[in-house]
Amino acid sequence: MRKVDPVVEQAVETLDLPGPTRRRLLAGTGLVSASLAASALLSACTGDNDDDGGSAAAASGAFGNFPKTPKWKFVFVCHVTTNPFFTPTQYGAEDACKLLGAEFQWTGSKDSIVAEMVNATNTAVTAKADGIALAVVDKSAFRDPVDKALDAGIPVVSYNADGAVDDPGTNRLAYIGQGLYESGYALGQRALEQVDSGDVAAFIATPGQLNIQPRIDGAQAAIKESGKSINFQSVATNADITKGQSIIDAYVQGHQNVAGLLAVDAGSTQSVGVMVKKYDLRSKSLKVAGGFDLVPETLQSVKDGDLDYTIDQQPYLQGFLPVFALYLYKLSGGLISPSQTNTGLLFVTEDNVEPYQTSKNRYEGSDDKPQLIERSGAIAHA
Amino acid sequence: MAEPMSDPTHEPSRDATDDVVFRADDLVKRFGAVTALAGAGLYLRRGEVLGLIGDNGAGKSTLIKILCGFHKPDSGTLTLEGEEVVLRSVEHARSLGIDIVYQDLALVNELSVFHNMFLNREAVRGRLLQNRRMRRLATENLAALGITNIPDVSVEVAKLSGGQRQAIAVARAVNSDAKVLLLDEPLAAMGAKEGALILDLIQDLRANSNVSMIVIAHNYAQILEVCDRINVLQHGRITFDKPTSQTSLAELTDLMVTEYRTARRQLGGAVSQ
Amino acid sequence: MVTTDTSSTEPSPTPTGVGEGPAARGSTWRTFVSAFLRRREASVFIVAIGLMVYFRLSSEVFLEKPNLVNIAQASAPGAIVAVGVVLLLVSGEIDLSVGMVFALAPFLMHYAADFYGVPPIPSIILSLVVAALIGLGNGLIVCFLKVPSFVATLGTFYVLFGVVLTTSHAYPAQIPPSMEGRIQSWLGAADWAELIWGLLIVAYFHVMFTRTRWGIYTVSVGGNLLGATEAGIRVNRIKIGNFMMASTLGAFAGIMEAFRVNTIDPNLGGGTGVTFTAISAAVIGGTALAGGSGTMIGALLGAVVLAVLQNGFNLIGISANPFYLILGAAILISMIANQYLARLRRAGGT
Repeated sequence: MRKVDPVVEQAVETLDLPGPTRRRLLAGTGLVSASLAASALLSACTGDNDDDGGSAAAASGAFGNFPKTPKWKFVFVCHVTTNPFFTPTQYGAEDACKLLGAEFQWTGSKDSIVAEMVNATNTAVTAKADGIALAVVDKSAFRDPVDKALDAGIPVVSYNADGAVDDPGTNRLAYIGQGLYESGYALGQRALEQVDSGDVAAFIATPGQLNIQPRIDGAQAAIKESGKSINFQSVATNADITKGQSIIDAYVQGHQNVAGLLAVDAGSTQSVGVMVKKYDLRSKSLKVAGGFDLVPETLQSVKDGDLDYTIDQQPYLQGFLPVFALYLYKLSGGLISPSQTNTGLLFVTEDNVEPYQTSKNRYEGSDDKPQLIERSGAIAHA
Repeated sequence: MAEPMSDPTHEPSRDATDDVVFRADDLVKRFGAVTALAGAGLYLRRGEVLGLIGDNGAGKSTLIKILCGFHKPDSGTLTLEGEEVVLRSVEHARSLGIDIVYQDLALVNELSVFHNMFLNREAVRGRLLQNRRMRRLATENLAALGITNIPDVSVEVAKLSGGQRQAIAVARAVNSDAKVLLLDEPLAAMGAKEGALILDLIQDLRANSNVSMIVIAHNYAQILEVCDRINVLQHGRITFDKPTSQTSLAELTDLMVTEYRTARRQLGGAVSQ
Repeated sequence: MVTTDTSSTEPSPTPTGVGEGPAARGSTWRTFVSAFLRRREASVFIVAIGLMVYFRLSSEVFLEKPNLVNIAQASAPGAIVAVGVVLLLVSGEIDLSVGMVFALAPFLMHYAADFYGVPPIPSIILSLVVAALIGLGNGLIVCFLKVPSFVATLGTFYVLFGVVLTTSHAYPAQIPPSMEGRIQSWLGAADWAELIWGLLIVAYFHVMFTRTRWGIYTVSVGGNLLGATEAGIRVNRIKIGNFMMASTLGAFAGIMEAFRVNTIDPNLGGGTGVTFTAISAAVIGGTALAGGSGTMIGALLGAVVLAVLQNGFNLIGISANPFYLILGAAILISMIANQYLARLRRAGGT
């Protein structure tokens, strides 16, 4: 009997591995064994396939009134897989999967490369995934891959992005996310409450990308329709936050008397807040600064008054709800079809930012521990 | 016994009736502020081996590079087989029958022996190389030249010793049916044994073919062994021209040492006798 | 060692006459195997096979047709661009802008077809011609203005990036309607189209690199620039020609990808992404970064290795965050295995 490395042995005991993997780990030596062990350990560490120690091969299914189901695998295809905005999305998906006895894979492209997302979608189809959630950031590239998935009997929903304003671009079953053009329009309208004239710059990380371009289009439309003499300029930053920050820095340096600074993505919003503080623009002609998403730095900027508001897309729901939609579709044999879902549009301002900041929690992505957040008192309303 | 030194303004004989295949007259070449050649001239008889020596920086490499077409002189003329020529390029010179073996050998390490021997004159059918043919020709050529230390022409040149590489470089030049062959320091960086092999090669060429050669070298003993005549280049001019039989190691050494002493005196240092 | 030299690895003719025994047949097989292992591509080939075996064991669908199509489509563009990169690396240069030509070419084709009414095939050809001119520009700057190629092509990269963004208004475009259908299918969208084009291109350039004068001169220019010049080789012509070929190949690969993905995206190839993948494929395949030696087949295998790694780990279900860790480790392991096998090869062992 070949001697098994004690570490490998321990890995096999503590981890819950599919049969073939366990067999290979115990039988293999050297490189093969090490790499298998590494991949098994890592997937366990990230908790993607965590299932409370139940047997991997058999199914456990959801809690409650649901029957036993196989451990369905849902593939999320994202355009910026490592962007912190989507961390709560992944938590949401994970929490939903745990409830329902399913698992998910988080893949796609790191740098908004459409070809990579298409490849990932196609791979999910050949891997016979049980459901696909796709951020449709291009209105023509995903038509075929989604059709192929549907032809193979795999339900597909879109999240976070859904093609262009006039054309969803795919035959997905439903869109689960924020109305993109509408949210941009709201961004612009809110800005108009504080600014009447001057230069307003709007930063967009990846121009043309269909999950954010409609927002800037909406903001521009809102400002234009107001009829005020505002000079609206859209500026491209970068999908990479650090590069984007340098770009915004350079712009602000050159336009220190700007009246409004808007941003339509998480990275650019965060950088705007940093720049407002760095160049003390509040003491200059800056009338309004606002953006999207609830990255911790952005929340702090709102608290400090550098940013007037930021819009919550509720990314947690963008991971949580698609899993339920796909699960119910599979469970009911297609009778319960996913439905268009607006994950909401909430303005976070100085007045209500505190709870977002003080509670470090999964729902905003700032902590990974599951927790109950208490609240009391009346709920603000118009 | 040292003979009286030659006239430093000596010029090559213009009325030599011997069959002169190649001559250069009044070559001047400057590189920026540096004058490498200040009116150098020489002649080469058919079948002769001319040795060219001189101090570093005297201009030997420049002279050779002009003779092979790599540089163009600022002024002066070249005459090949009685007709004046202007060498447009190394390729042009080669097409006229003037070939050179460079000091750095111009070999490509990653290519095989036979590819190097045929570099820039490959055998092709249509667009495709005729490797087998070249391999065969290369093997035959090396054998014909008596070069026996290269067992396999398909080996990469990088794997060969200095002597073997030199042999290939010479074989390549000879291959090209050159009338005039220029060898720039063929014996530099070579041990005694390998140097002897190259000298033998040069001797063979001299004996068995009609090619005329100019050899640059630093080792006077070796030069005296293979060359028919010696030229000395000093300060951009040929200052010495004598058949080997009429000079000696002592004379050549004295020539160079005197120059060295003159230089030292000019620098103001005490010269030891 | 340039793969022009195959004679030393040919099996020697058996000395016995007709009707040789099993011993002689066995030795021919052994000679064949040792000849194979002596080729520099052997190590990357073995790594590729090893990875495929690993992934097949980990996932039954890995070698099924739909997934093979995925792998083919993921390796072909990288392989095609890598062919051009090999030509340049061997001649001692590099081209960082090839990833941008990749993104620009489909746009040029689209402008010609949709704004100027140029018919489909001429539009594509026009786009390739412009790419060749860009390569010419790179070559002229490097050879005559003596700017190192890394810096020169970095500059070209950004210039082209700006051109792509401003002319497209940073918005993706549709595939020209005149090209939908047969053209789009044959030039990228059909399952095996990219792979077939890729194989044809690799085969053509392999022959060009190993069996023509251009290949010899490319190796010479990279291996001993001074020596090549002294031997009378027109070194600038070789370098400029290689720059032009690299850009054209980049453009062609970009056009095919645009057809396959059915969109003309300013971010096609991810800017430096494709360049990086192509250079990695070339190097993993056995081309030396320092110049003077390279292999086209190795570049193809390198591209396949990278594609298999991406696809395989995705198929198994590794998620994005740990993915990069594993990809990096896998590349390192592949390269270490590659080097180890290469060292065995050089030492003469089989």
